Amino acid sequence: MRKRTLTRGLAGIWWVTLFFLYVPLFVIVLFSFNSANSTAIFERFSLAWYRRLFDNEQIINAFGNSLVLAVSSSIVALVIGCLIGYGMYRHRHRKLGWLIVLIYLPIVLPDIVFGISEMAFFVQIHAWTGLLQPGLGTMIIAHVTFQIPFVALIVYSRFVGLDPTLFEAAKDLYASPLKRVVHFMVPTIKPALISAFFLSFTLSIDDFVISFFTAGPESATLPIYIWSAIKKGVTPEINAIATLMIGAVALAAVLSMLFNRQGRR
Amino acid sequence: MLQSSPMAWRRRAVVSETRHLLFSVAPGAVWIFIFLVLPSAYLMGVAFMTNGPYGLPQMPLSLASFERLAGFGFLGWSPGNLYTLLRSLWQTLVSTALVVIIAYPVAYYITTCREKWRPILLLLVVVPSWTNQVIRAFGWMNLLAPGTPLSDLADALGLIGPHMGLYPSNFAVTLGLVYNFLPFMVLPLYAAFEKLDTAQVEAAQDLYANPIRAFWHAVFPQTLPGLLAGTVLVAIPAFGMYVIPELLGGGKGMMLGNLVANQFAESSNWPLGAAGAILMLIATFIGLFAMRRIGKRLGGGEEVVI
Amino acid sequence: MSENMTAEIADHSSAHPTTGERDGANRKASSIEMQGLHKRFGRDTVALDGVDLNIRAGEFFTLLGPSGCGKTTLLRILAGLEEPEAGSLVVGGKNITEVPPHQRSVNTVFQSYALFPHLSVRENLAFGLKMRGMKTAERQAKVDEIAEFIKLGDLVDRHVDQLSGGQRQRIALARALICEPDVLLLDEPLSALDAGLRSQLQVELLRVQKRLGMTFVFVTHDQQEAMVMSDRIAVLNGGTIQQVGTPDEVYEHPVNAFVAHFMGHDNLFAISAAEDDWVDTELGRLRLDPAEQRDAQDGWLLIRPETLELDGEIPEGYNRLQGTVAERLYRGSRIEYRLTVNGRSLMAVASNLGQRMHNIGDRVTISVCPEDLVRVAA
Repeated sequence: MRKRTLTRGLAGIWWVTLFFLYVPLFVIVLFSFNSANSTAIFERFSLAWYRRLFDNEQIINAFGNSLVLAVSSSIVALVIGCLIGYGMYRHRHRKLGWLIVLIYLPIVLPDIVFGISEMAFFVQIHAWTGLLQPGLGTMIIAHVTFQIPFVALIVYSRFVGLDPTLFEAAKDLYASPLKRVVHFMVPTIKPALISAFFLSFTLSIDDFVISFFTAGPESATLPIYIWSAIKKGVTPEINAIATLMIGAVALAAVLSMLFNRQGRR
Repeated sequence: MLQSSPMAWRRRAVVSETRHLLFSVAPGAVWIFIFLVLPSAYLMGVAFMTNGPYGLPQMPLSLASFERLAGFGFLGWSPGNLYTLLRSLWQTLVSTALVVIIAYPVAYYITTCREKWRPILLLLVVVPSWTNQVIRAFGWMNLLAPGTPLSDLADALGLIGPHMGLYPSNFAVTLGLVYNFLPFMVLPLYAAFEKLDTAQVEAAQDLYANPIRAFWHAVFPQTLPGLLAGTVLVAIPAFGMYVIPELLGGGKGMMLGNLVANQFAESSNWPLGAAGAILMLIATFIGLFAMRRIGKRLGGGEEVVI
Repeated sequence: MSENMTAEIADHSSAHPTTGERDGANRKASSIEMQGLHKRFGRDTVALDGVDLNIRAGEFFTLLGPSGCGKTTLLRILAGLEEPEAGSLVVGGKNITEVPPHQRSVNTVFQSYALFPHLSVRENLAFGLKMRGMKTAERQAKVDEIAEFIKLGDLVDRHVDQLSGGQRQRIALARALICEPDVLLLDEPLSALDAGLRSQLQVELLRVQKRLGMTFVFVTHDQQEAMVMSDRIAVLNGGTIQQVGTPDEVYEHPVNAFVAHFMGHDNLFAISAAEDDWVDTELGRLRLDPAEQRDAQDGWLLIRPETLELDGEIPEGYNRLQGTVAERLYRGSRIEYRLTVNGRSLMAVASNLGQRMHNIGDRVTISVCPEDLVRVAA
């Protein structure tokens, strides 16, 4: 009897928590379809805010920036992170403490410290050399820096999960070092690579703080645009962009999970 | 016929392996070194420089920015910065405690469900955290603004003044922090619950008539490593949070993250901001160090997966 | 026996799947010569300590020994997966000591099978040919040919995940054979399988080797398996070769106590004194064949349990011992007895021919022919 009360109580807490977790997102989605310019009262269904979205050049630009930033940083991070992941695997019997510290640094550093360090550094380098003008370039550099560890760890764990004799079998079956990469390693870890790419992409799209501090005047991304729009005053238009972003990120994250699971099987 | 000496062979192998290690690891290591280690080091250096015109750092070296951080300015001592620091600590403490209180039963509930449902339930907890921080804070702004049902309710209960709205306020910041970090606590706690030694729990239920004592002696110690990992995952980023207090807190809800960020944006005092960042770094490393130490003593020795 | 085998190879060589249309001639199997191979791991662990070994062309050769004896290291040096610190390796007359594995015409069947999980069975089989640059159509034909030869049936079109252990083993074998290597290496390929499947695959493997006439180097720690399969066996211990010989040589005339123990012998007795035609042991004085005489005074006397006769007629000149039955193990085709002689334990095995069984506690007279006694070095 007492046990059943406990289970009921737990289930109650679970549902309340779930409600708590989804209500803010639900409200955003709901009011993005509101015909009235209000975030308090829902009048009737309308796509007006979405229409306004596509007429807004700033938003289109921000969307383009977000996309370019996410895709290009993910590609660079994939290449670099992949190499580290393989290096960590191949030399896992060595003492690589310094490398582990280096790889975990971007993960453990608070966002804000990460962001302002980069900003201060870029500004100073720019003052000295004229290079690294704040803009998409500096943002890509900063994003790659926080994506590398995730790619490296995903690739590393995929390699660790493999039977080590597979590497020897490839050698034994006449694959030269280059052919081993093309015909054995890359195809074998392909699911991990795809998963790492989607994760990097999601991290990049999701990031606000680091982008905010490394951005230039012309390189606002969607989160930065939303931020400044909120600062100017809340409009249902923000609900519409936010809804699109919630959808996109959820999709990418689900894809990442699917590929990761497929790879592990 | 090969008659190379053992030493020559070994040297050859070591050289090629080392070259391989450098080739694979160097691009990323150099990248992180140049674009994160150097910038962080530079920032730490900035903290010990003097604030120049336009907020940019200049020589000579001084501890002035740390004095400013402690509240000593041109006009004598003022408690503003200290309040901000205390508020950061207080918000971190309260939100972490709330997160533990909510996450504990939630994580346990998931382990009581059927095995095939568990990943889906976990996913449901995690999915909201995949969306942008700014958007999530914005969601709460929508909910807590004046005129919304929640604000009206609080108004009717006399918790807030008429037409005030629940945000901006310290309460809204706490809520935002709890919302933001709940999944970070549920995941490690779930992992701990899943490994729970049920035999021990049943033995404790026989031993202690009181279920609370059974829980305290059999269940709680086993979940301690997960609790600890979760605490670090929540408390460290909460202490340095920028977005949530900026959007939900207003002027009186400022935390250390805002103080630091403002020095690089509006008020422009890089050395002061850098000094604040050093404070944050110290907190981070104390947290990580404490987790390692306590983790080792608990004998878990498990790595925390973020 | 060896003549029989040569005949069998000649018989079946026309069925060779891989010599193909190119020359139609019999495959020329390759011999292997190893000289002074040394290998250390880390600073102190000696894996191979000067191994000299010649393996004949077309031979089924087994490296036998306990784990850590260096047999796997030796196989990996043959494959090129490990580099020796000193010594040379010649295969088919070519010195390949420093040739990297992907340029050696040597293939391996790995203990874990090491089938590529990202490829189908067909792609796994064709992998080696593809890496050597063979055209797609030709590869397909080869795969079909080998599938026919190893009788893979519809396994070829399955996914690696869907295969059982025995099926994986056969795919791994086919994947190595399809490349027509000079030498095929097998690293305990049957150790992960259950007993029934294991003996079935032993026979199959042997048949394949005889039909192809290819040189097989087989690694195992199971002396029964080694004796069943091999033309010759090398017993290794501590990184050195203890004995090389045919299964009967190694089993019946082990050169030292280690080999004797490893081949499963229990009846070893320290020799305290010896003359031309007798030795003193804990069992008493026993006559033996003067040809068995060794120079050294010390060493061990080996008595194979199947050479002992209990309570039988004792021909002239046979050794005679008195003992008590301490234990009896009924094994169906044979009966094993543990006897106590002079306070020492002695094993005897009798074929089950329906004779009266001895009971525990029975006093028995044990006889053994002097020619069946073997002296073994310490």
